[in-house]
Amino acid sequence: MEAEKIQTEHKQQAPKKQEVVIDIKSLKKSFGQKQVLKNINLQLHRGENIVIMGRSGTGKSVTIQCIVGMLKPDGGCIKVLGDEVSEMGENELKELRIKTGFLFQSGALYDSMTVRENLEFPLTRVLKIKDRAEIDKRVEAALDSVGLLDAIDKMPSDLSGGMRKRAGLARTIIVEPEIILYDEPTTGLDPITSREISDLILSIQKKQKTSSIIITHDMECARITADRVVIMDDGEYVAEGSFNELHKSKKEIVKLFFKDIS
Amino acid sequence: MAEEVMIPSWKKWFEDIGDQVGFFFKFFKNIFTGGFEWSEFVRQCYEIGYRSIMLVGITSFIMGVVLIVQLRPTLITFGAASMLPKTLSVSFIREIGPVIIAIICAGKIASSIGAELGSMKVTEQLDAMEVSGANPTQYLVVTRILATTIMVPILSVIGDAIGLFGGFLALNIRDSMSFSLYFTKVIAALDFTDFLPAFIKTIFFGFAIGFVGCYKGFRSNKGTESVGIAANSAVVTASLWIFVIDAIAVQVTSLLFYK
Repeated sequence: MEAEKIQTEHKQQAPKKQEVVIDIKSLKKSFGQKQVLKNINLQLHRGENIVIMGRSGTGKSVTIQCIVGMLKPDGGCIKVLGDEVSEMGENELKELRIKTGFLFQSGALYDSMTVRENLEFPLTRVLKIKDRAEIDKRVEAALDSVGLLDAIDKMPSDLSGGMRKRAGLARTIIVEPEIILYDEPTTGLDPITSREISDLILSIQKKQKTSSIIITHDMECARITADRVVIMDDGEYVAEGSFNELHKSKKEIVKLFFKDIS
Repeated sequence: MAEEVMIPSWKKWFEDIGDQVGFFFKFFKNIFTGGFEWSEFVRQCYEIGYRSIMLVGITSFIMGVVLIVQLRPTLITFGAASMLPKTLSVSFIREIGPVIIAIICAGKIASSIGAELGSMKVTEQLDAMEVSGANPTQYLVVTRILATTIMVPILSVIGDAIGLFGGFLALNIRDSMSFSLYFTKVIAALDFTDFLPAFIKTIFFGFAIGFVGCYKGFRSNKGTESVGIAANSAVVTASLWIFVIDAIAVQVTSLLFYK
């Protein structure tokens, strides 16, 4: 019920045009002879959720990896919170990465550490928090917000796929980033768990006022979380609009994505 | 056509060398910048050192026994059976002990570091650490390389002692020599110039084992197969480096200490 309420509110309170937190212009990236990103232009506004959809290998993950400086673009520019990523030094990039959370497809939990230690890692190593009580409080609050407090002392190998993603999400949000980039957050999960993760993404956006880019193939996840959907094909954006607008689109590539949606 | 194939392979070779040099400097830079990961360093010392003692001990013991059994007939031929403790101690402390123990450590430790970091790369844990703003080099590389650099010499000293003890037991199978006489002869045969250069080269062996393990793990490709390749490649490369360092160390020691 609470999830449905949040979804309804989310649709009613579609973000007004606000400050641009990510501004991508003419982004290009090639690997060898293959040009993966041809000409990407995208603006993410504060408090907005953008869902990027597209066939495998069209450059969706490459786009968000360029945003956090994991990959260096061949051309174009990416501004995150007003600063050009390609001009950042090591320390500026570190600052950017604290403000920009990244949730990996697998959750990417450190498998030699317990869930608690996984969450403590960014607090002690990145935010340099030394106060034990403060660390415990933040770890428990983050795990509580993803409904995983019971698994605090478990090893990642003892968790299910959905629990690993939720623990990964808790580790991402514990540093309170302004932007979160989700790389296929519901892939490999059953429909019920996928929906739980999608609701969680939405509730985190509401609670922490984050802006997000969500890469997914999951139409239900897109329907729940998206303020705006962008369809990508062959290294370019081919369609953009709200979920409902694209649902009615006559474009062939868009229709292929929405054909199973009633 | 042949030239077209050769140029990229040479280019790749030089790129690899450059990448290794870059990795080396990144390691050194990270020792002195930011907070040192003491808890991870201690954990690695335990994993690398304590968990290798049994293997190193058994191997060294067997080597001590085998050397005495093999040397005895030859020395008896020359009427020099009393030289057995001296021969064993000099050969074991100077060369056989450090090299064999380093090769054992390369097999156990370099492969384990290569596989661990390789699997972290495959499962995006290294990427996750990096994009969280943490420093994976400081947490994973500095701690492991320093731990091997410190623990391999310690393991080598322990292995030397166990190997010499193995020699004592082997000697007493056919002959009879008291424990105190055996070790008096062993110690008397050794000089500062036998022990110190051998100890110093084990520091370099330890560094090579840690460095190669970390480099191969960090540079593995993203695929499950690459974890095995990283582990295998780490053992082969570290073993090769041990022999190269040993060859250089012998030449340097010879120039400095021996006539």
